[in-house]
Amino acid sequence: MNKSGIEFQFAWLFGLVVGMIILILAIYAVTRIIQTEELAIDAQTAKEIGVLLNPLETGFESAKTTTLILPKEARIFNGCSNESYFGRQTIRISQRSFNKWTNTDIDVGFSNKYIFSENFTEGKRFLIFSKPFDFPFKISDVIYITSSNKKYCFESPGDEILDELSNLGQENIFTENCPEESIKVCFSGNCEIKVDLSSRYVEKYSEKMYFPDNSMMYAAIFSSPEVYECQIQRLMKRGGSLASLYAEKTDTVSARGCNSDLKNELMILSSRLNNTKQSVNVNTALINDVENLQEKNKNAKCKLW
Amino acid sequence: MKNKSAQLKIQQMAFMLIAIILFFALVGMFFLTLQFSKIKESAGILEETNALLLVTKLANSPEFSCGESFGTGKTNCIDSDKVMALKNNIKRYDDFWGVDNIEIRKIYPKNNGKECTAGNYPNCDIIKIEKEIITSEYSKYSNFVSLCRKEVFGDESFDKCEIAKLMVAYDG
Repeated sequence: MNKSGIEFQFAWLFGLVVGMIILILAIYAVTRIIQTEELAIDAQTAKEIGVLLNPLETGFESAKTTTLILPKEARIFNGCSNESYFGRQTIRISQRSFNKWTNTDIDVGFSNKYIFSENFTEGKRFLIFSKPFDFPFKISDVIYITSSNKKYCFESPGDEILDELSNLGQENIFTENCPEESIKVCFSGNCEIKVDLSSRYVEKYSEKMYFPDNSMMYAAIFSSPEVYECQIQRLMKRGGSLASLYAEKTDTVSARGCNSDLKNELMILSSRLNNTKQSVNVNTALINDVENLQEKNKNAKCKLW
Repeated sequence: MKNKSAQLKIQQMAFMLIAIILFFALVGMFFLTLQFSKIKESAGILEETNALLLVTKLANSPEFSCGESFGTGKTNCIDSDKVMALKNNIKRYDDFWGVDNIEIRKIYPKNNGKECTAGNYPNCDIIKIEKEIITSEYSKYSNFVSLCRKEVFGDESFDKCEIAKLMVAYDG
């Protein structure tokens, strides 16, 4: 009687313990699979965003707003590194799942993209537009990403910028009747984002970001100082490389009797751009030289760009 | 006798458990293989879409595009003089566009079907901006473009544009 009682108890105990182990293992496996799946979705979304940004870089879609709607509330992390020759743009996505942000450490990288945004942009609807950056030749189309949750109020920006913003018609950019919660962008006086057009800088988070033209002005307005400084260095590096390509092109066209006399200036520009490490180096002297070079190219017998 | 029967029961249970664990492990492995093949498939699709969009973008990117050097800005117009300069400096652009090879083939008028080098340019048909040796396993995408350069006739310079195909290849 006693023995069968022990046997019965042991069978149940053994079954329970093993069953529990199997259940724990199964729960652990399912959790890991869900985590992997979330990582895969985040990485896939980041890559998809990168791929979908391609048409914005053709120049056809310049200064037009495109809306990107994600299935879930997400954070787009904008990463920029200057480690390789042309640096690298990285996009990382973290999505809201069960009221928690997924913790992704997979960066999707692109060498030929320049995205300007805050360190991370949060929301479900993202508003994207692009503009070409010429210095003096086209260096790239730069992309600006903002969340529809964040509203920007441009106070007395001047006719040129006002026209451009009106044509852009982006729902989170206001030039009049600004909502109370909007971030103020002022062109005189003091506010969160201060733009000084005569000294060509944008002051944000108590840091000054210098810009050579309007495309970079928008870049400074919409991005964090770290992202801006890193991207401008990458853009200048690409500009330096393009300048050396144009310098080499002068040899080819000169051999066909089409001299443009810009080789030396282009070589100098190339080295200056390659050595531009911060936006403060994009000073009036450099901007004037670039404008002169642009003028010379316009009047040349054979235009290089 | 009873002791033996208990041992037998434990043995039976142990075999059963091993069988169950093996079954679930196999099901799990099958599920994981399916998941990974799905991820691989979507990565492939994204790579393909990227190449497809890139071929349009490439012709208009500053290293290739004509800009305003042949009059007003043109779309899908490639400056062949600039591309030859790029070919000489391609090491700098390692993995810049995320494709394995870029090639421009002149379609009309054709010269001699030869690859362009510093010696025979512009009397050639193919500009290879080569990085990898392209095999049949590579996926290729192409787009029609105009291939332009400056020419001189007497004292007058003029723009010469020809029809070409821009091709990109990636390991897919």
